[in-house]
This record gives sequence, structure tokens and C-alpha cells, in this order.
Amino acid sequence: MGIVAGTVSYLRFVSGDLPEGFEVRFCDALNNHAFHEIDPSTDVEIQRGWVRFDDAFEANFEPPTLLDAGGHMLFRLRIDTLRIPNVTLKAWTTREERERCVKLNRDKLSKKERDQLKLDVKKKLRLRSLPKMQLVEIDWNVSTGEVRLAATSKAIAAQFIDAFEKSFEIKLDPVGLLKLLALRGMKEDDIDALARLEPERFHLIRR
Amino acid sequence: MQDSRDRFAFLGREFLTWLWFASETNNGFVAVPELGNVRVEFGQRLTLESAGNVREGSTVSADAPSQTEEARTALRVGKKVARARLLLDLGERHFEVGLDAETLTYAGVKLPALMAGDDAMKTEERLRLLDEVENVVDSLYLTFVNLRRDEAQWEPVREALRAWVQEVAA
Repeated sequence: MGIVAGTVSYLRFVSGDLPEGFEVRFCDALNNHAFHEIDPSTDVEIQRGWVRFDDAFEANFEPPTLLDAGGHMLFRLRIDTLRIPNVTLKAWTTREERERCVKLNRDKLSKKERDQLKLDVKKKLRLRSLPKMQLVEIDWNVSTGEVRLAATSKAIAAQFIDAFEKSFEIKLDPVGLLKLLALRGMKEDDIDALARLEPERFHLIRR
Repeated sequence: MQDSRDRFAFLGREFLTWLWFASETNNGFVAVPELGNVRVEFGQRLTLESAGNVREGSTVSADAPSQTEEARTALRVGKKVARARLLLDLGERHFEVGLDAETLTYAGVKLPALMAGDDAMKTEERLRLLDEVENVVDSLYLTFVNLRRDEAQWEPVREALRAWVQEVAA
């Protein structure tokens, strides 16, 4: 399912003008903002970056393979989340606390001990958890500047726009009802004139 | 001018409502400059919404939702099409597109079967087909906006559309 197979759902964007020699520059941009795995021994909960279109674990981009024959750049945004749900963390911490109290022959732990225990439990749980992986396909037609993002969620779109603009240093605009008209050649004056239009009522009774 | 979703959302809803009208009053075809006649049908799921801050919606799920009493009644009370699944035939090729009137989000796009052999050519063909379906939808939208912004051309369409709304709901 996605841009190259099955049914696809997507949002449309349009990028600003591409600079000279963009292949090399964009490869650098992709490599500089490539995806890196979350280190579970740290506190990092979300990590995002670019990966190759054909391999979610490969983040090395090279100019000769950047464009397909039709002048499209295909790549993916990978967003990993490693977050221990509160319910899980609480249950495991309570269990550890109980065991610790038995071991120490005490009724309860001090607040400081409980806080430290919670951190230790969280670390342990992170080490044995797999991050949730999201992979979002991107198709950038470099001759027209049009970009397809194979996602419809506002949150993913916001992550994508942020990652795109930071990586490529090019502005990215959603293709909305007015932007589309400009993209299809309508003059700016004519688009501005649409401001005079008011919504119609189609359900009026015939005179 | 910046896209202002709230201010111009009505254009998207009017577009999909006009598309329903244009196709139904021309045996399922809509004439598009440079593309010729495009066959347009509404499939599976149709959502109509009223305008304003408190939006009342009606979603109809049926094989031909635009033919249902519920959808037609929604039109009569002033609702317009907010989301639709468009079945588009361009020559021999058949496309399906779920379209949101305000955001122009494409949902569940189905493309014609691929002819190409190897993976690289298949990808290229898929991208060409996506370009093609976008071109059809964009052209339909542009056709509508060009009509809508020219009062002399739009006036008879408006009257015909109002008459159609009364008729379909009668």
C-alpha cells in the first residue's frame, strides 16, 4: 500500500525553486538528516530522519541513485517512538517496589528510593522494548516542485514539513484550494479576485 | 494571497456539489477543456455538510450514494458535498479517488492496472497515473472555478443548479 503499490492516501505540497546542482546538495541534506536508531539507554523518546525508499534501515543517499528516470526523488521519513506507557511503568514499578520491600524487610520505600526505582524500571523496560516505527513515503517531482506525502494525518504532515524545511532549506506549501489554482496557471490577480466571492445557496426556492 | 482554509472552504464544497450536478445532468459526463468528456460518478460514501460554525453532516454509504433519498434531502436543506469518492473514467482508464473538499486530501486512490514489467518501470508508470488522476481532478476544479468567477457564465448554472436541487429532492 502506498505510492508505488496498492491504494494510496496522500497530501500534496509544492516546494520553492530548486537550486543549481541540487542533486549533490540534497544528498548532503538527506545524509545530514538521516535516520538514526534511538539508543534505549538514553531518555530519547522520538527520533526522526530520512531513509531510503526501498529500505527502512538504509539511510545512505548517493547522487546517482537519487532520481528515478521520471525526475522524481523517492524517499521516506522514518519516525520511531520509544515511550513506556504510564500504566505499564506504574505496574512494573509497583511490583519492583513490593519485591524490594520484602528483600529489605520494610513496609515501604522513601520517596527518593521510589523515584530512583522508577527511573531504573523505566530504563530496564526501554532496553527490552522495540520502538514503534512509522514510515511515510515521499515523492518529490523535482521538475515541477510538487511533493506527495503518503499520509493524511495533520501530526505527520507537521513533522514532515518541519523535517523537509530544516533539511533542504526550501519552503514547502500545502496545495490547498487557492494554491492549486496558482499551480495550474491561474493569474495572481484572478486568484485575488476570488476574495469577492461569497458562498452560494443552492437550496433556495425557485422564484 | 495565502490559502485560507476557513475563508475559501466553501469553494471546495461548491465544487464537489457542482460536480455532482454537472455529471448527473449530462449522463454522467463532465466536459473538461483539453481532456474532453470525463465520466464522473459518486461511489460508496458521500458526506454532505452545512456551512457555518456548527456543522451538521450527513454521511451516506451506498453503492450509488448520490442517488439516495438521504443525500438528496441533505441537498435540499442546504448541505453541500464535503467529502466524496469519485469514480473517474478517462477513455479506457478507471480511477477512484476519495476527495476532501476543504483540504483536497486524496484518500484511498485506486489506479488502473499497470502494464509495465520491471519494478522501476512499474514505479514510473504509477507516478504517471497519479499525475494523470491529479490532472483530471485539478482540471475539473479549474473548470468549476473559471465558471464560478465569471458571473455571466455562472448565473445560468446557478439557476440550473438550484432547480436541480429542488427537482432531485422532490
